[in-house]
Amino acid sequence: MSDERSSNRFREVNMRRKTGIAPSPLMSLLFMMRMWGIGAASWLASGAAWAQKSFDNMPYKLDGGFDNPMTTISGITELSRDINHLYLTTTIIVVGVFFAVAIPLIYTLYRFRAKEGDDTPPKQFHGNAILEFMWTVIPVILLIFIAIPTWKTIFKHDGLAARPDAIKVHVIGHQWWWEFQYPDYGIKTAFELHLPENTPVDLSITSADVSHAFWIPKFGGKTSAINGNINRLSWVTPLAKMPEVAGGDYYQGQCAELCGSSHALMRHVGVVHTKEGFERWVKAHNQAPKVETASQREGEQLFGRCIACHAIEGTPSAAIPGDKIGPNLSSFGSRSHLAAGIRKNNEENLAIWLRNPADLKPGALMPNLGLTEPEIKSLTSYLRQSTYKNY
Amino acid sequence: MMLDTHHTGSAGAAHAEAPEAHGHPTNTGVDNRKFAMWTLIASECFLFATLIGNYLIHKNRGIDGPKPHEVYQIDITTLSTFDLLMSSVAMVLALYYCNARRLRLFQFWTAVVVVGGLIFLGFQYVEFSHFVLKEDLGLSRNIFASSFYLLTGCHGAHVTVGVIWMLAILTTSLIKGEKWFNSTMVEVAGLYWHFVDVVWIIIFTVVYLFVYV
Amino acid sequence: MLASTHSAGYSKTGIWSWITTVDHKRIGILYAVSALLFMVIAGIDALLMRTQLAMPNSDIISAETYNGLVTMHGTSMIFLFIMPLSAAFFNYFTPLLIGAADVAFPRLNALSFWIFLFGGLLLNSSYLVGQVPSVGWFAYANLTLKQYNPTHSVDFWVWGIQILGLASLISAINFFTTILNMRAPGMTLLKMPIFVWTTLVTQVLLILALPVITVACVMLSFDRAFGTGFFDPGAGGYVLMWEHLFWVFGHPEVYILILPAMGIVSEILATASRKPLFGYTVMVYSSCAIGFLGFAVWAHHMFTVGMGPWANALFSAATMLIAVPTGVKIFNWISTLWGGKIRFTTAALYAISFVAMFTFGGLSGIMHSSPPIDTQHHDSYFVVAHFHYVLYGGAVMALFGGIYYWFPKVTGRMMNEPLGKIQFWLYMIGFNVTFFPMHFLGVQGMPRRIYTYAPDQGWNLWNMVCTAGAYLTALGAFLFAINFFWSLWKGKIAGNDPWDGRTLEWSLPSPPLEHNFDVIPTVTHLDEWWHRKYSEDGKRKVMAPAPKFDPSTIHLPNPSFWPIVLAFGILMIGTGFFLPGFGNAIAIGTSVAGALIVLGSGFAWAYEKP
Repeated sequence: MSDERSSNRFREVNMRRKTGIAPSPLMSLLFMMRMWGIGAASWLASGAAWAQKSFDNMPYKLDGGFDNPMTTISGITELSRDINHLYLTTTIIVVGVFFAVAIPLIYTLYRFRAKEGDDTPPKQFHGNAILEFMWTVIPVILLIFIAIPTWKTIFKHDGLAARPDAIKVHVIGHQWWWEFQYPDYGIKTAFELHLPENTPVDLSITSADVSHAFWIPKFGGKTSAINGNINRLSWVTPLAKMPEVAGGDYYQGQCAELCGSSHALMRHVGVVHTKEGFERWVKAHNQAPKVETASQREGEQLFGRCIACHAIEGTPSAAIPGDKIGPNLSSFGSRSHLAAGIRKNNEENLAIWLRNPADLKPGALMPNLGLTEPEIKSLTSYLRQSTYKNY
Repeated sequence: MMLDTHHTGSAGAAHAEAPEAHGHPTNTGVDNRKFAMWTLIASECFLFATLIGNYLIHKNRGIDGPKPHEVYQIDITTLSTFDLLMSSVAMVLALYYCNARRLRLFQFWTAVVVVGGLIFLGFQYVEFSHFVLKEDLGLSRNIFASSFYLLTGCHGAHVTVGVIWMLAILTTSLIKGEKWFNSTMVEVAGLYWHFVDVVWIIIFTVVYLFVYV
Repeated sequence: MLASTHSAGYSKTGIWSWITTVDHKRIGILYAVSALLFMVIAGIDALLMRTQLAMPNSDIISAETYNGLVTMHGTSMIFLFIMPLSAAFFNYFTPLLIGAADVAFPRLNALSFWIFLFGGLLLNSSYLVGQVPSVGWFAYANLTLKQYNPTHSVDFWVWGIQILGLASLISAINFFTTILNMRAPGMTLLKMPIFVWTTLVTQVLLILALPVITVACVMLSFDRAFGTGFFDPGAGGYVLMWEHLFWVFGHPEVYILILPAMGIVSEILATASRKPLFGYTVMVYSSCAIGFLGFAVWAHHMFTVGMGPWANALFSAATMLIAVPTGVKIFNWISTLWGGKIRFTTAALYAISFVAMFTFGGLSGIMHSSPPIDTQHHDSYFVVAHFHYVLYGGAVMALFGGIYYWFPKVTGRMMNEPLGKIQFWLYMIGFNVTFFPMHFLGVQGMPRRIYTYAPDQGWNLWNMVCTAGAYLTALGAFLFAINFFWSLWKGKIAGNDPWDGRTLEWSLPSPPLEHNFDVIPTVTHLDEWWHRKYSEDGKRKVMAPAPKFDPSTIHLPNPSFWPIVLAFGILMIGTGFFLPGFGNAIAIGTSVAGALIVLGSGFAWAYEKP
């Protein structure tokens, strides 16, 4: 045994043998750690300084006010019903497996704990082929119970996008708002995806800049919005819950792919109308704002400064060809929230936005236009007139 | 796995090793350095596979600017390929003469490898300059250009490393003379050199010969 | 430690001895200390995030800062904590477990550590200049392109990853060679300790997966520096190319994170129950299967990007398949405990908690493996819960268990057991309080990577609970630090074999001498050390006294200065890519100087006596 040792690879050296703990390498280690500690402290200090910049009180808040929050297990569309069914099956199997693991584990820990004073080793057994076989095969079988419905659901919903009676909508993600275009109706809008009840919808989803993800949890089917790709998603919308008093049922959605600093401030809604309500929305959406008071007329004039990036149907801004980089503001006044769903759409919030967009949304691409207070008041009153509810 | 032998150097090699060889017994019978080089080659296979895959995906997606079939000069590239292949032959001979302890022949063939590598790099330099200056195909000209330069540039960098390595071997031999026949080192360098050559064969086929595919 | 008269004037003590060390044990300690310190930084990132999220509409941390914290927390925990702490264990123990005197390439081993350290410092220096990458730890294109991220923040991430990847690759080649080539006589592959097997599979994954991320990072840095268009659809590139390349690396990466931990759990459970690992051969094959299949499942991170139903279905099937060898391991661990005489040391508690927590995390993974369900889970807190259960409840628990288990061998002293158990429970409770409610948040639709949320979403309560759990966990970490330092000074002297261990490292003194084995053992069994102590029927054997040992026959590799120098050269090359802001001459000069340093130190290394 003693002649089998490592060979000429290392240089021959003399050595003295020492046993036990050598204090000096330990001291060196501690010295290193002290230096490290100083380094770490300076990191922490500069990290704190960097975070300190954000310790000012910023009004980057999100308003609530959606009837239907983001829960994922609602089952109100066929897609989300199928997802729920799968989810239930999987949960039952998974919980079962968990107990199949936890109960033997706990029992084993209890039964086979070492007894006081018993120092002899237990019987040394190495394995059991039958057991190994069982707990290889049984999981496979359980997984088949998940896999088959999964495959069925995948292929079922893939085919739904091509329905001829579906309403086609182009969904375009921007930093940091959602654009919806209805090519069949000639409508371009933002933030609110209006749909009639119980109708198939065919979404073509893409992005104008970075990757986003379109997600209305209650409808199901999160889909990435990727520049250069078009992804299809389809649902059959649920029934409208109540008469058109509130202007439709609002189902909240939110961007689900990190897309920059204001990723958390990029929300959207699916608005489900009765069929009549939807018809009315389509007819009235593109009507020009009703300008009645002097303030609104002033606002109409001021809007001329916005037409480089925005358009309102029925006004000269819409006649300018080409895509705008900012959201279409037709029927802006009837949107429940502004700035991509982060604040309630009221006079006060609109004024804050117009005063300085970066106050509501860090990194917002809309610049500070240097508007005076009276100008803000006029513009606000004009924009709030841009609403389909006037017709 | 084989049991350790402990009594000879790298199994299978009939030649004795000089003191600097540092061979020592291994479980697989393969010297550690050779084993490590094979492992590196495995990793590099994935590297070049990714680059070649990227090239294949992008070669026809350039928005504007030159396309592959417009710029490649296959007659010239064939020459550089032949040169690299011949340098691999020289590498084999260099190793053979190293094992045979024939100093001058070992040094000569090592020098041939170095020259062959430099000629190949020269061809690449000429080709790249031609593309950039005459064909308006800079690195960022279009996605085809970027993918092409990334792939062939990475290969060229590997050839450069190989040339430096072979030059170091040559220089060491010139300085130390008869005392230094480090077969294992030369064999490991040879493995690397052959790998770089094989990668070039694949690149040449996929990039230059499949230009219309 | 030894003093040698022919070590070219290098001392064995003092900071210089640590800088020039090529001893795998010291390098392991260096990795461990660095990993734990980086963990503190990443943990503070997490505490800041959780503090911000405790209440809705909180304005403690701004959006951009939060995105930076999220990115750095993920990147640091993965690349600067779990990977290096795993590396610490396989650095220190692989040669001891296979009966070798050192690794195949000791200086290359040191190089790996220094490159890792410099890469980690580079990444963390982004805090110092206020340009913290904020694109997520996975840095999806095209957000990372210059037009959307004009500062150098993304460059810190890209170059940090590149440099760290190089360190891991070099280490992987080293350990792959060591394990396959330098085992003690008689140690066939199926007599290697299971930790060595999982380490081996990890090295294979590193060797094959790292090139892919290397290419992706080169492409991204070219896009940013030279305006190539690999990820720019406007130039003919593909945004999704990044996701594919990243996850082809990224999925094997998560198995790289978990496999060493699984090996540690196997070793601890066998020792704690005083029985061999149940189904050793099956465990070996499972580890290999996990490694192999790990390359076939990457697109399950991409179910929502529109790959089409066939791609989704096939990747879903592969993902479900990979659950099978993983599940087999769980049952094997329970069977290891069954019939044993379990001693509930702190290390054992950690290993047992791994079995439970990793199972839980794996099961939520099964849920994600179904694409329709995943369209609700992806990018929500449900996924955050899942991966923290497998990475924290799994890998981190196992690694801390490894620290408690092997601390006696490394330092010669035991860690304080009562304090250890308190600390364990703080971690266990804190971890579950932090991450279990995240399942609910995910079901309630809370997306990932959002720095705040509205007050009426129904998320308020659980977020507050999660934050409380995070602070509890931080307390556990603090207690760990106390235990660690106290035990270094005042821990009970351990002796060679405090746990009545099964593997060869327990045959050595604590800490082992620099040359490891006086006499390289001849191995005849799996769990060789156990078989030398006990006969087949459990009786203690009388061991023959150690044979006469002639110290002059030991040959040790010399310490070397060149690894740290070469690593520094690599750091300079990478840094040069950042510096165009200061003028192209400085940038190019730095990179060129770095390349010359690499070349020069490489030659010096090659010609120095090893």
